This record gives sequence, structure tokens and C-alpha cells, in this order.
Amino acid sequence: MSLIDEKDQVRTEEMLLNVGPQHPSTHGVFRLVVKISGETIIDAEPVIGYLHRGTEKLAEDLQYTQIIPYTDRLDYLAAMLNNYALCHTVEEALGLEIPERAEYLRVIVMELNRIASHLLFIGTYLLDLGAMSPFLYVFAERERIVQMFNEICGARLTYNYMRIGGLRWDAPPGWLDQVRAFVGHMREQLKMYDDLITGNEIFLNRVRGIGVYDTETALAHGMSGINLRCTGFEWDLRRKKPYSIYDRFDFEIPVGKNGDCFDRYYLHLLEMRESLKIVEQALDQIPESGPVLGKVPKLIRVPAGEYYSGIEGARGELGFYIVSDGKDKPYRMKIRKPSFVNLQLLPKLLRGQNMANLIAILGAVDIVLGEVDA
Amino acid sequence: MDLSRLEPHRLDPIRARQLPVIEYEGLTPEENAELRRGGVMLNSLEQLKAWARSNSLWPLTFGLACCAIEMMGTGASHYDLDRFGIIFRASPRHADVMIVAGTVTKKMAPLLRRLYDQMAEPKWVVSMGVCATAGGPYVKSYSVLKGVDQVVPVDVYIPGCPPSPPALIYGLNLLQEKIRNEARGRKVAQA
Amino acid sequence: MNEEGRKPEKGLDAPATASKPANDQGSAAESEAAKSSAEANPATDAKPAAEAKPTAQAKTAAEVKPAAEAKPAAGEPTGEPVGEPAKRVATGPDGAAAKPTAAAKPAAAAARPAGAAKPAGAAAKKAPPPPDPRAEAAKAKAEQVKAAIVARLGEAAVEEVGAAHFVPMLVIRKQDWPSAVDLLRTHPDWKTNYLEFMAGTDYKDKGYIEVVIYLQSTELGHFLCLKTRTDRDKAEIPSLCSVFPGVNWEEREIYDLLGVTFTGHPDLRRIMLWDDFKGHPLRKDYNEWDERNA
Repeated sequence: MSLIDEKDQVRTEEMLLNVGPQHPSTHGVFRLVVKISGETIIDAEPVIGYLHRGTEKLAEDLQYTQIIPYTDRLDYLAAMLNNYALCHTVEEALGLEIPERAEYLRVIVMELNRIASHLLFIGTYLLDLGAMSPFLYVFAERERIVQMFNEICGARLTYNYMRIGGLRWDAPPGWLDQVRAFVGHMREQLKMYDDLITGNEIFLNRVRGIGVYDTETALAHGMSGINLRCTGFEWDLRRKKPYSIYDRFDFEIPVGKNGDCFDRYYLHLLEMRESLKIVEQALDQIPESGPVLGKVPKLIRVPAGEYYSGIEGARGELGFYIVSDGKDKPYRMKIRKPSFVNLQLLPKLLRGQNMANLIAILGAVDIVLGEVDA
Repeated sequence: MDLSRLEPHRLDPIRARQLPVIEYEGLTPEENAELRRGGVMLNSLEQLKAWARSNSLWPLTFGLACCAIEMMGTGASHYDLDRFGIIFRASPRHADVMIVAGTVTKKMAPLLRRLYDQMAEPKWVVSMGVCATAGGPYVKSYSVLKGVDQVVPVDVYIPGCPPSPPALIYGLNLLQEKIRNEARGRKVAQA
Repeated sequence: MNEEGRKPEKGLDAPATASKPANDQGSAAESEAAKSSAEANPATDAKPAAEAKPTAQAKTAAEVKPAAEAKPAAGEPTGEPVGEPAKRVATGPDGAAAKPTAAAKPAAAAARPAGAAKPAGAAAKKAPPPPDPRAEAAKAKAEQVKAAIVARLGEAAVEEVGAAHFVPMLVIRKQDWPSAVDLLRTHPDWKTNYLEFMAGTDYKDKGYIEVVIYLQSTELGHFLCLKTRTDRDKAEIPSLCSVFPGVNWEEREIYDLLGVTFTGHPDLRRIMLWDDFKGHPLRKDYNEWDERNA
């Protein structure tokens, strides 16, 4: 067999390459079986389920309040949002009133958590692309948020802070001032990230124009969050189906233009800015004092029926679907997992790409395996 | 390293017989017996090796679930594991320690074992968090392994869900201590 | 919930009647009781738990021990706050006879406020649903959707129309599942171009497995819930992959965890669990320790 094929190019053979489940750039235990010819990806097949913990089945044996800690461990980078998504669905089902101060505190912690999650995305994404120092920078910022969460609820990662009908604790004295100080600090840091990363030639060459898809594809594949907005389609549930008190804040929904990896990266940065805006407005409007937990029966029984409601999570539409038979435990609970849905397009994006772009495309989808596998 | 730091009981033959047996690497049993009897020179050498090993633990980046984020946080700027000589490696063949950070599912367990087998001796395993230790909140799940010690031997268990970075650092310090103590021929319980 | 809680009361005749006069004469005590039970909302919930135990003992104990012994116990706390006898339940040194009286008292006191002062709970939700305008509107909308589907696919295509908590809900016949979804996707009045959510549920008692999707129209703002049902033993549903490629993994997940075969799916394999796994864990009769699953 000659080494040169009919097109005068070096003959290559197809080869199967296994990426993961133990791989530093797969953000957990995600496995990708890639078929390559030379440096070109012919086909890719994602294999998931290495972190499938059966949360949905476990939830059927738990009371609604007991499920909240399990939601922490789904998308562990944005646990507050997960807490809220479950509480929101149950509250909608019960038609509960949430105290004003609790609503504001919820928004503050949710947006802070969104910032923490996006920060981690930027750090790890650049780490994947070979830049070590952003990782160290973002963790310094993230640590501040985590410490604030530690003060308000006593946990660094799995908060279990929200309750059906409100919150577990009020903010400790001086906490809101800390948040205000952080917002100012974070603004400057964001400017620095923007200056350092966004214009970086090496970075731009790695991410611009790869992993491109259009709005129609994204909608057909049920994508949501930044993965949908990067195509230029404005779809943010905070605006489209306002929940909580998001209709009281003035913020923008940044959208992309090209639907490539760069847009996805940049939207994370812009969204953090908008989140800071929301936090600042919430800090201005929050009532001085008041209850944080509304009138809720001690044993929560959701009336028989089925309920679905989604919120804008850090990665897309995060929803909880609850089928109740009138008991204190759900008959069936299903989680709408944004990363799980967003990940489906990956094989299509990878086909025909260079091997080196694999990590760049995978990283930009921004998955959390705890959520993908649930 | 202070080579003269030999405890008196190590020279006492009766006490010495009660101590756990040390196997020196790459030597025949006869040579091992001989060395155990004398013990002065090579014991010190063992201690020297343990000192070096314990201060350059290279863990495998083996993040499974939530604990992985705290592990990353420990390695990053604020807590900085580098100051203990702990540097994360991506390949099991470079690594000494496997920090099992997160829930081990039944689907993942065979792969975890394979990664453990790929690591070069001497190797240690740290079980980080309650999921890896005993299944944690997912102990009733149909797909979760009830403790990583069903698959690999574990040296240090760190409780918490997830353990905070200081807890992880404490656990790794205990592992360092354990390595040094074992080289002195002491049982770990005496540490 | 309250009815369940009150049931044991009937079981213990003597103490219940004994506690009633105390309830009637002391209106101050009653209002206090109402306050305490309204304020400590849990009291109404804790009550069944506190009562559940006495029932078994009470029947026997209350019969054996004369009501006379129960009377002083009931007469005594007229001037006292109701919290006092409740406390005694917890410590309960004065035997089984005192227990039912103490337990019955707060129950009787709580019975009145439970209806009036506890509207925030599940009880209040139970009453409004039939006249809830949002649910009515959802039903009306569902009828419109039905009309659109029936016009194209025939009367039999839609099996049921209703509302899933303010969202219009339709149950589609299994055979027409993809065509109905595709119809709504392309229909100029509905244009449900975005499949937001998909799930499967095993209704063991009703004998079917249900697959549910929530459709969203990004242009027109409609939000619909569509369902289809299949037999549990031979679970088969036509795949939606040709309509919405995004359901590929969702259907694989349902196949994996619920054991529904999606005919026409391009790549139907287990996704979450490993290939040798036996059984489908989200089915209600799944048992990890069953021999068939070993």
C-alpha cells in the first residue's frame, strides 16, 4: 500500500480515539469516542451516564423539602438556581405567596451564583485552550462569592438555601454591604478579563468561526440558554416568561451574531455584566427587613395533577416536572436538564473539524456532568 | 533529614518483632530479612524516600462530581495546593495519589479500577466526600457504588458533602504523615 | 388532611365529649387555642401525628378506665392555655387515659380554625380549581388545538382534552403522535417550533405509560402540553426524531429508564445505564433486588 493516495496526499487510516471519561478537559466523566482520519474528525459519539445517580427515582421517595438538597448536586456550579427551580415549581403548584424580602434575596443569590458559574466557565474554558492563569484569576473571584454564600447559608457549594415558600435564613447583618462591595470589585475585574482575553489573538484564532450553527438548528434541537442566544435569537425566560420578580429589573439580553464558540464565550462575559446590574438594582430595592419564609404548611402536599415550570438557569432552561397524586411526595419528578439537551448537537458540530478544535467546541457548550447524567 | 532520629525501641529486639514487617522494594526475602535485622542504613533511606514522596504527591485529576469543584478550588489560587508539593497530573502514569472526588457509579467503577491499575507503585487513594466513602446521599440509588473501597483500597477518607478545601488539605496532610510513619515502621494508628 | 386527622376523634368517645364542654364554656380559651393553632401552623399538621398513636391505645384504655378519670383532666385546663395539655402529651406521665383527652382537645380546638385560618395551604388550592379562570382558558385553548388536529387527522386522533395546571393539554392517539406534533409545528396558527421538555411517566395503577411533551411557539407564544399513552407490557410509541431531532437523547433516556420502545428512532440504545443492565428503574414495580434484574 502506498503512502500517497490518489489525490497526492498522505494516506491516512481511520482510527478510533477514546476521549474520557477520565480526561481533564471533559469537565467530569464525559466520554467521547471519536473516529478520526489523520487530524480530521469523521464521526464522534458521546457516551454519558458515568455519573447517573438516579436522582429522579430517589425523589419519588422523598418529601418536597427533602428533594432540595438533591437538586444542589445536579448542576453543582449553580446550585442556587437549581434550588429555586424546584421551589418555583412547587410554589406554582400550591399558589404560594413569597415574602418580598425573600424574593429579592433569592434574586441576589441566584444572580451571584450565575456569575460564579460563568466565571468558572471562563476559567476552565481557557484552561482547556491552554491558558493557565485565567483559571487562577477566576477562582480568586469565585472564592469571594463562595465565601459570601458560606456566610449566608453555611455551605460552599451545595447550599440547600431555598425552601418552598421562601428562604431558610435571612442574610446576616452586613452581608448586603459585602455584596455591594463585591459588585464594584467584579465590575473592574470583568473589564480586566475583557481586556485580557477578548482581544487576545491566540484565543481568537482558536475560537472564532468554529462550532457554528444557526437558530433553526438550535431550536430544532431544543437548545436553550447561551447556546441558543449565541445564534442571535433572543430567548431568555427571565424576559419571555417572567418568574420571581425579574420584571422589576432593567437589564439586557445579550445575543450573539455568528453562533460560534467565540460568541458563546463572549456572551458569558456579557451576561455577568447584566447579572451585576440586576444584583445592584435588587440591593437598592430590597426591603430593610421582613420575613423570609412565607406561610407554608409544615407538610407540603401538592394537589394532584402535573406541573412544569422552567427558569433560566446558568446553562439554559432548567425545569422541573412534577406529577403529584396529592401526597407529600412526588409521584414522578423529571428534570429538564439544559446541558443534557445542549450536548446533543455535539457530534454534528464535530464532524469535519480538526482534532484540535474538539476541546474548543466541547468546552464552549458549557456542560456540567452532574446535570447531564442526573 | 536527620538520620540520627532513631527511636530507642527500634533497637530493642523484642519490640522490634512486634512491629509491622517492612518490605524493601526490589530485594529478595533473604536480603529483606537481613536488612530488617540491621536496619540502620536502609531504614533511614526508606525514611528519606518517604519524606521525598510525601512532599511531592502528584494526584490524578479525577473529578467525578461536585467534590471535583472543591478539589479544583483547593488547587487554585486561594488555597493553593502547590505549596505542599501537590501538583495535579492528568495521566494516571504520572500520578501517586488518586483523589476520588465525587459519586462513583457502577458504570464508572470498572474504569476507576483500571485507572488505579495504571498508576505506578507506590500509590495511595484518598476518598473525598461521603459519596466516595459510602454512597452518601445516593446510597439508596440503583446505580451508585456504596463506597469506592469496594473497588480500590483507600488510605484516607474525608467526610463532607463536599468537604471544604481546608478539609481536603487536612486529609492530604494526614496522608503525608501516614507515608512518613509507615516508613518508620509504625502503624498508622499510632500516628 | 384534616379529615384524616379528625378521624381518631370518633374512636375515643368518652374523652371527646369530656373535652367539649371545656371548649364551649371557655371562649377565651378557644380563641387562644385558635390563635395558637393558627400561629403555629404546624400544630394542625403535628396533630394527626400526635393523635395517631393514642387511637390504638385509646380505644382500649379509654374503655377500661372510667370517664370520671378523664373528666377532671378535661375540666382542669379551662383557665389554662391549650398549649399546656399538649405539653403533657409529650411528657405523658399520667397514663393512657389522660393522653386521649389531651390529644383530643387541641384537635377539637383546631378543627374550627383549620378551615378558616389556613387558606394558604393545600386545602385552599383544592377548592378553586374548577372555577379557576386560567384552567378554563387553558381548556378552551386545548379545544382549539383539538379542532386544528381533528380537521387534519380525524376525530379519533385526540383522545382527551384538558388542562395540565393552566397549560392546555391534549392526549393524542399513539399512531398519530408524530403526525400530530408535526402538524402543530407547521400549522400557521400554532407554529410550535420549540420542544421544551419531554418526559415519561409510569402509571402502574392505570396500566399505561405516558409520554408527555411541552411545546412552545417562539413566535406566537403558545405553550402546549401533548401526551400519548402506551400499554405497559408492550410499550411502543412512534419516535418524534423526524420532527424534532432534539428528542433523540430524551427518547433514549425514556427507553433506558422506562422501557418504552420508540419505533423509527435512529439509534435506540441505553444512554444512562450500562448495556448489561436489566430492568427499567423508573418503572414503579422496579426492584433492584429482584432476581430477574440480577
